[in-house]
Order: sequence, then C-alpha cells, then structure tokens
Amino acid sequence: MEPILAGILDAISPVSLLFLLAGVAIGVAIGAIPGINGPMAIALFIPLTYYMSPLAAIGFLVGLNKGAFFGGAISAVLLRTPGTPEAAATTWDGYPLTKQGKGEKALRMALYSSVSGDFFSTLLLVIIAAPLATVALYMGPPEMFALISLALTVIAGIGTKSISRGLIAAGLGLLAGMIGTEPVTALPRLTFGIYQLESGLSLIPVAIGLLAFSEILIQLERHIGGASAEDSAMTFSKRPEDRYVSIKELLGSFWTMLRSSIIGVGVGAMPGLGAPVASFLSYDQAQKRSKQPEEFGKGKLEGIAASESANSSVVGASLIPLFVLGIPGNLAAAMLMGAFMIHGMMPGPLLFEQNAQLIYGIFASLVIASVFLLLIGRVGLRLFCRAVEIPASVLYPIVIFTCIIGAYLGQSSVFDVWVMLIFGVIGYFMRKLDFSYVAFLIGFILVPEWERSLQQVVISSQFEPFAFFTRPIAVILMLLTCFVIVKTFVGNLRKKQ
Amino acid sequence: MTRVQRETTTYVAIALACVAMLIWVIPTFTPPYPGYGASPALVPNVAVGLTLVMAVLELIRAGVGRWSGRARPPEDRQYPEDTDSGGFSQLGRLRLGHLARFMIPCALMLPAMEWIGFLPSSVLFLLVIQVLIGGVRPVRAVVLAVVVAGLMYAAVRYGFNVPIPGPYGW
Repeated sequence: MEPILAGILDAISPVSLLFLLAGVAIGVAIGAIPGINGPMAIALFIPLTYYMSPLAAIGFLVGLNKGAFFGGAISAVLLRTPGTPEAAATTWDGYPLTKQGKGEKALRMALYSSVSGDFFSTLLLVIIAAPLATVALYMGPPEMFALISLALTVIAGIGTKSISRGLIAAGLGLLAGMIGTEPVTALPRLTFGIYQLESGLSLIPVAIGLLAFSEILIQLERHIGGASAEDSAMTFSKRPEDRYVSIKELLGSFWTMLRSSIIGVGVGAMPGLGAPVASFLSYDQAQKRSKQPEEFGKGKLEGIAASESANSSVVGASLIPLFVLGIPGNLAAAMLMGAFMIHGMMPGPLLFEQNAQLIYGIFASLVIASVFLLLIGRVGLRLFCRAVEIPASVLYPIVIFTCIIGAYLGQSSVFDVWVMLIFGVIGYFMRKLDFSYVAFLIGFILVPEWERSLQQVVISSQFEPFAFFTRPIAVILMLLTCFVIVKTFVGNLRKKQ
Repeated sequence: MTRVQRETTTYVAIALACVAMLIWVIPTFTPPYPGYGASPALVPNVAVGLTLVMAVLELIRAGVGRWSGRARPPEDRQYPEDTDSGGFSQLGRLRLGHLARFMIPCALMLPAMEWIGFLPSSVLFLLVIQVLIGGVRPVRAVVLAVVVAGLMYAAVRYGFNVPIPGPYGW
C-alpha cells in the first residue's frame, strides 16, 4: 500500500503535473499536424527528458502520446487529412460534419470518445498489470527468448503486406542492435574499428532518423510544388446544436464507445496489431450494429465515437505487455521502453518489485493525463485547430533542425547526428520499398534482451540442445512462433493465387 | 523500372549483402569464441541467415511466377506510384534527387559547425532548407532562421548545459 500512496503523491507533485500537462498540450498540437504522430513526437522529445526525474519524464512522454492520439483527430476532422494513421477512420464521418459547418461538434465528439476510451484502458492497465507481472516473474530465460522470438514474428507483420519483408526488416534491426560490445566476451563486435560504435548505436538517433527524419523527407516530396495547408478554409456554424454534443447524442453513442474501447483494449494488448487496426475494426462493428448503417460516412457521430474511442484505448492497453513482460506492443511502447532504459530501468515484471513507487506514480499520471486531455481539449479546441494551418516552409525546417539537435543532445556527439542522418536515409528507403521500419526498430530494441536470454540458456544448460523442451511454456511459445510464420506464408501464397 | 524489377533488384542486393556479411564481415569483425556460452557470431549469423532466407524465398517466388507465366496484377507491372494511405506503408517512387537536395545541406552543416561556429551555420542551414522547401517570403525566412537557431542555442547551452559543437562556443 505504501508504494501506491507514495507513487500517487509523486504524480501529483507540481513538477510532475506541470510536465504531464505540457506533454498532453504539446501532444495535441503535434498530433494535429499531418505527418507527425505520437511515436515520432516521443522520439523528438526523449532527448529533453534526460534532465527530468524518471516519473516526470515518463509522464511527459505518456502525456505526449495520449495528446497526439486526440490531436490526430483534429486534422482528420477539419482537413480530411489524418494527423496519425489511426485517425484515418475518423475522417470518414468527421470531415462530412465539417463540411456541414459542424466541425466543432465533431471535434467535441472525438474528444469525449478519446478520453473515455483512454480512461477505460488506463483503468484496465492499473487493475491487471500488477497481478500479471507476478505471474510473469516465473518466466525464465528460455521463456523470455521464446516470447521475444514470437513478438518479433508477430511484429514483422506490421507496416507491410509481406511477412518476408517484415522479417527481413526485423533481421536487419537485430543486426544493427548487435553493433557494439558483445555481452559475453566484452569485446567489440561489428564496429569496423570505429571507436564511437563500441558502446553500440544509441536508440535516440536511430529512432529520430527512422521515425521523424525519414517521414519529413517523404512529407516534403508532397509539399514541394503542391498546395500548402494555408489553402484550407473552414467555416464553423454558430448554432449551439451544431457546436455542442447533447447528452442524448452522447448517451446514444455510449454502447459504441464501450464496444470500441473493448476492441481497442483487446487489440492494444496484443503485440503487433496497433491502433489503426482497432480503429477500423471498431468502425466496421459500429456500422454493422447501427440501425442506420447507410448514414455512416456522411457525418454520423457514432462513426467518430467508434474510431476515436478504439484508437485511444490502445494507448493504455499497449503498455500492458511493456510493463508486464518488457515487450513493447507497438512503436509508442517501444519508444517508452527506450525512455525507461535511458533513465536506468528495464520495463518488465521486476520493475514492479524494484520500482513499485515509480510504476504506481506512472499509473496515477496516466489517469491524470486523461483528465488533462479532457480539460485541454475543451479549453483549447479552437486554438489547436490553428496548428494544422502552419505552412510547410515554416514547420519542416524547424522539425529538421529539431531532429539534428535532438540527435546531438543525447551524448553531445556529432557522430550521433551522422547516425541519425544515415538512419533517416535508411528509413526513407524502407518506407518507399515497403519494408517495415517498425519491425526494424523493435528488433533493434529487443536484440540485447534476446541475446542475453539465449546466452543464459546456453550457459545454464551447458549446450544441452533439448534444454528448451524441458520448459513447456517455452515450447508452446516456439510452436506459436512457427505457427505464425507458416500461417502467414500460406495466407500470402493463397492471396497471390 | 517496374515494381517487380525494383523488388527483384532489392532482394538481389539484400541477398548479396547477406552473403558478404556471412563470408567476410561477421568472421572478420566478431570476437573469437571464448570457450563458453554461445559464439559471439551466432546471433549475427542467425539474423543475417534469416534475412538471406527471406530474400532468396522472395526471389524464388518471383522467379516461379515469371517462369509459370502467370499474369501479375496491373499495379505490380507498373512503375510504383506514391501511396497516401495514411498508414505505415509509403510505397512509392524513389526520388534520389529530392533526397540528395535535403541530405547534402544536412551533411554540410555538420562540418560547417566546426568551421564557422554553431549559430552562423544553423542560421545558414535553416535559410537553405526554407529556400529548398519553397519559402518565398525573405523577411519571414530570415526571422525564422535567426529565432529558431537562437532559441535552440539558448536551450542547448543554458537550458541543458550541453557543450555546443564547434570551436567558438557559439
């Protein structure tokens, strides 16, 4: 009980609250800008958190991610340009409402749905994470090795239509993660005689390059020679019924929000699926179960409620595998894992034993972030709308410069800026050739733990090749890994035929 | 180059790189086996092996498809156009000129910081990037460059107490 109370007290300290509030506000503004999403914002802002306490840092980043999820809906509703991939389904009903002059009402519905979905999943995380972590403590190196193998296979399917391309990307990510000092011999491996590589590639420049810089390079292709965001003209009706969501309308969407939140939690808790899947699945369910399915896509509030509550409920749920097993379920969770590591902690079941106060502080921050999101969303709705209007020629130079400075800040090293630029180019090619940069990054992050588990298994079993078969959970997980690979290959072959 | 040709070229390049890794890079740049645990080369070999197998499988699949004469969907035969799905995949045309246009100033900025200092090189860099993007308002461009470079300098130097790159401290 003591760590819980101490954690809550830490979370409500003025400094933590201030950073949390800043995180949510910046997240909403950033998410509203098309092309910049939550994980990208986390990558850009992680360097700033070096100088914060762990709770303030994680709170700030979690707030950033939560805010970005709602922010994505702003440009989706007003400009028909989803600020984040998961807000794509929000455009289908949000933009028609904007065209009818009801953009503000659509945004309010998106806000209430986002907050309710987010709150639901946070509550679930708080309730089930600790008991699950107790069970997870019984998992030894063989289980961890098998589990990470399974996670890598599942995650290989994200962001690409072909699992082989996903596995290639994951393999390359594993390889990049192995550059540095080898854990058993403590000698340099794959460093090519470059002394800066002996401590390995830092996560921050790699993440900034892959997520932010490469995205900006692609966004610039579309902006150069094209119309800028300044061209958008928005009109807002002043009639109260066109601006506010009535209690009746809110209650009418209650079951949609609840169902979508449950779908979002289910999808978010499984590594590899992610918010866009939750959002599309929920929209589909909402339409199928609606009494007026033909109105979907023409400005139906339930459509916005389905998409937004589902994608926001993924935020809390995706932290379940991270906190319980130390395995990031999606990109945002992977970036948060990086932030934990930067602050000297390793997410996983041991975190509940070693840093219980911090974990409960984070849980409290997650709940408070939901409240802040509601407040900021209500107060700054009109103000944040302006973020979508920043011209490309102003926005992108600032983001590019921030990428450079962000990569430099981590270790005050110009070498890291080169690393960021190189991974920016790699990310550009990966995106254009449809290789999953998500699988690459998660492979890069997970490989040290994967190799450590393997070494532990090999050393403790003294090269006994059947060591894995004495651990039933490890066997089940390895069989599942094989099943996922075979099933996906067969599925791909059938699709091609 | 069609999408199929581009994919085949990519897989061939990946497969060749993997072979080079397995034959030369990993044996040369990996510590010797210490006599306990798994070999330091095991995990790199597994990662590269996995990548190689996947690339070869894709090449075999492409070869079988071509040999069997099965017609591919039109979008696979055409030049890949840009997609704007809003998702992770941004499959599209590789614009190397565009890439070079932005990478060259970024690459030049780093040595420029050593020669002329952080602030002047940052202002120049921001101006160049704005021009390349198509910023047409000169006053706004100069003000933005000076303000952003100045704010970053203040944040890095005085906010985070991080040493500024370059010989002059500004």
